[in-house]
Amino acid sequence: MNVKVDKTLVASIALHVLVIGWGLITFSSRAYVAPEESLPIDIITTDQLAQITAGQKTGKKEEPKPKVEKISDAPPDEDAVGKVTTKKELIKTTSTPEPPPKPAEKPVEKKPEPPKPVAEAKPKEEPKQEPKPEEKKPDPAKEDPIAELQKKLETKKPPPKPPQPKVAAVQPQQQPKPKERTFDPAQIQRDLDKREPTRHELTGSALNASASLGSNTGTAVSNVATWRGAFQGAVKRCFTPTYNGQDADQYEADIDIPMKIDGSLAAEPIVVAVRGPSRSIAQAVAESAKRAIVQCQVYSFMPKQQYESWKLIPMTFGLKDML
Amino acid sequence: MTVTGSALAMLGGGQALLGSGQAFAQAQQGRLRIDPTEFQPVPIAITNFLPGSPSDGDVGNGVTQVITNNLKRSGLFAPIDQAAFIERINNIDVAPQFQNWKTINAQALVTGRMTRQPDGRLKAEFRLWDVVSGQQLAGQQYFTSPEYWRRIAHIISDQIYERMTGEKGYFDSRVVFVDETGAKERRVKRLAMMDQDGANVRYLTRGSDLVLTPRFSPNSQEITYMEFGQGDPRVYLFNIETGQREIVGNFPGMTFAPRFSPDGQRVIMSLQQGGNSNLFVMDLRSRSTTRLTDTPAIDTSPSYSPDGTRICFESDRGGRSQIYVMAAGGGQAQRISFSKDDTNATYSTPVWSPRGDYIAFTRQGGGQFSIGVMKPDGSGERLLTSGYHNEGPTFSPNGRVLMFFRDPGGNGGPSLFSVDISGRNELKVPTPGFASDPAWSPLLSATPG
Repeated sequence: MNVKVDKTLVASIALHVLVIGWGLITFSSRAYVAPEESLPIDIITTDQLAQITAGQKTGKKEEPKPKVEKISDAPPDEDAVGKVTTKKELIKTTSTPEPPPKPAEKPVEKKPEPPKPVAEAKPKEEPKQEPKPEEKKPDPAKEDPIAELQKKLETKKPPPKPPQPKVAAVQPQQQPKPKERTFDPAQIQRDLDKREPTRHELTGSALNASASLGSNTGTAVSNVATWRGAFQGAVKRCFTPTYNGQDADQYEADIDIPMKIDGSLAAEPIVVAVRGPSRSIAQAVAESAKRAIVQCQVYSFMPKQQYESWKLIPMTFGLKDML
Repeated sequence: MTVTGSALAMLGGGQALLGSGQAFAQAQQGRLRIDPTEFQPVPIAITNFLPGSPSDGDVGNGVTQVITNNLKRSGLFAPIDQAAFIERINNIDVAPQFQNWKTINAQALVTGRMTRQPDGRLKAEFRLWDVVSGQQLAGQQYFTSPEYWRRIAHIISDQIYERMTGEKGYFDSRVVFVDETGAKERRVKRLAMMDQDGANVRYLTRGSDLVLTPRFSPNSQEITYMEFGQGDPRVYLFNIETGQREIVGNFPGMTFAPRFSPDGQRVIMSLQQGGNSNLFVMDLRSRSTTRLTDTPAIDTSPSYSPDGTRICFESDRGGRSQIYVMAAGGGQAQRISFSKDDTNATYSTPVWSPRGDYIAFTRQGGGQFSIGVMKPDGSGERLLTSGYHNEGPTFSPNGRVLMFFRDPGGNGGPSLFSVDISGRNELKVPTPGFASDPAWSPLLSATPG
């Protein structure tokens, strides 16, 4: 019996067998590669960062140093277990300025960087992407040139490459473990130096879980706007003017407030000037303002380090938004 | 709160880049600024007025109650509940322990004493203290007949109000209104007068004839109103003290919507002629009349500006009732009411504030009657209250509060309400029955005679 075999069919079957077989062998034999373990990164907004670092009036005063030392104890225990004594000796010789290749681990968690693509799509928001501290009150006129300059730089450059946080996040994982335990002073120095950035980075959030007056290592302490806003808010709570007529926006009282370093009044508030169509109403506004100032003291939240800047607080009380 | 601190100052003040010409602006910018956005009443503690003798206890408590009620109803003050007081005042001639009053957040403290004199008169003394500074802001004593103790309480309220706000008070004033009784179909309307807080109601007419639109004269002794008698309705003058009344002018047609000029020497009103009505003013001394408008339209509800140089009135000369302003002697009138959200809205019953800054009106639109205010040039229109039927605003003597009447419809009747010119603090004014067409008197203690 003669059977006709279709050559194309045979060829097709053979090819399918080959392809499937190859696939089975190839895919089944590939070793399972565990996905890279990712480091948790908390993305927080600038507002949250500001809230964390802003401090509160009612908080306790923090003792920054002990907290920092606690943290600095933790990270270095990675590998040099037996070299603790040598490390401590080297701490005193901090003259070695060579920076380590950014092996910082924990600080990474706190980077408030938003996703990069947003920055690309909206170059105008670039300045905001900077990990600015809490205060956003500086003169807008000053920001503009910088923002524009950055914008130009951004347009010239290709999309921003992974900023530090990413690199820092990945690096610790790729970092191979020392193969042999040999005494290497340079390595020790690198290990020691990497603690420095750790200290600075951690002063803000993780360490200050409880409310505090803010860290003196942060920028809040030098922020004039902070105490100004707090002072305004405190006085406003007691300011209860009684006039809301159509011409209310024309009434103002300028009052100078002499302050003691403990936040109480050094003397009675001084009415420098009053303005408004009716002198009696303007005077009543000034008296109401004085009552508010006296009643709301003591302003103990005022930063003593900057006493010179608020020794005499010039203030204007108006009724612009009364209606 | 608005903050306008200088950016330079915020940056540390080290960059003094501004030119000398901007020195003042810079100085102002360097100041912290506070503009409260929310109105808050001033917390005030009002202690019971001490009795000079055991028999004066009731009147002392009564005065305290009237003062407390006045200040609270003004919306500018928040009297503190006496149950919260820490200190008991036993002698008003000794300074209080201010710390005790600071503790309960009082900004001001009122103490006083009522003593009956040997001659039968009543002596009222009071002191107003600034709790924060510990200084006395005001202190007065008055003598009066015992039956006028309420008026003394109103005068003391005005003193406190004026010292704390810088504005004249309005508590020592009266309101004349139309009292309404009986079934809706056969309602009896009488002229009535009361203190601004609803006390001391007096009826001025017997109710045999229908009365409308009463208005006080600047000296508070006379009222002008419209009455439907046997023939056409006429404008009358009524003397509160003597009870005498007289017709204003002898016109052939109906006269209505009368109002006094600020000096009290003239009465301005509408006179109907055919299907139209025009504005006329009559000199009360010479009885001479002057025509102010001459249009084929209905011009009515005139009201003088406080300086007497201009009048506002309503007219349908443009097709719908709107508010116009013109010189007191007549001439070109300028329309000032333009509704932005409802072109079909109509405006009526304009009345000029004694302070001159606002014209109050009734607006009808969108199926509602609203009471509102606008500036004399028509700008800044603000509706203070809206509803089924609100009408007939009248200003308090200091221009801070409006009173009007509201009719809920149905078988009920109208009631009087007051509201702050900012739209806050709407309150029902107590009256014996239904009430409409209120007119606020000038301040009694400030009026001659």
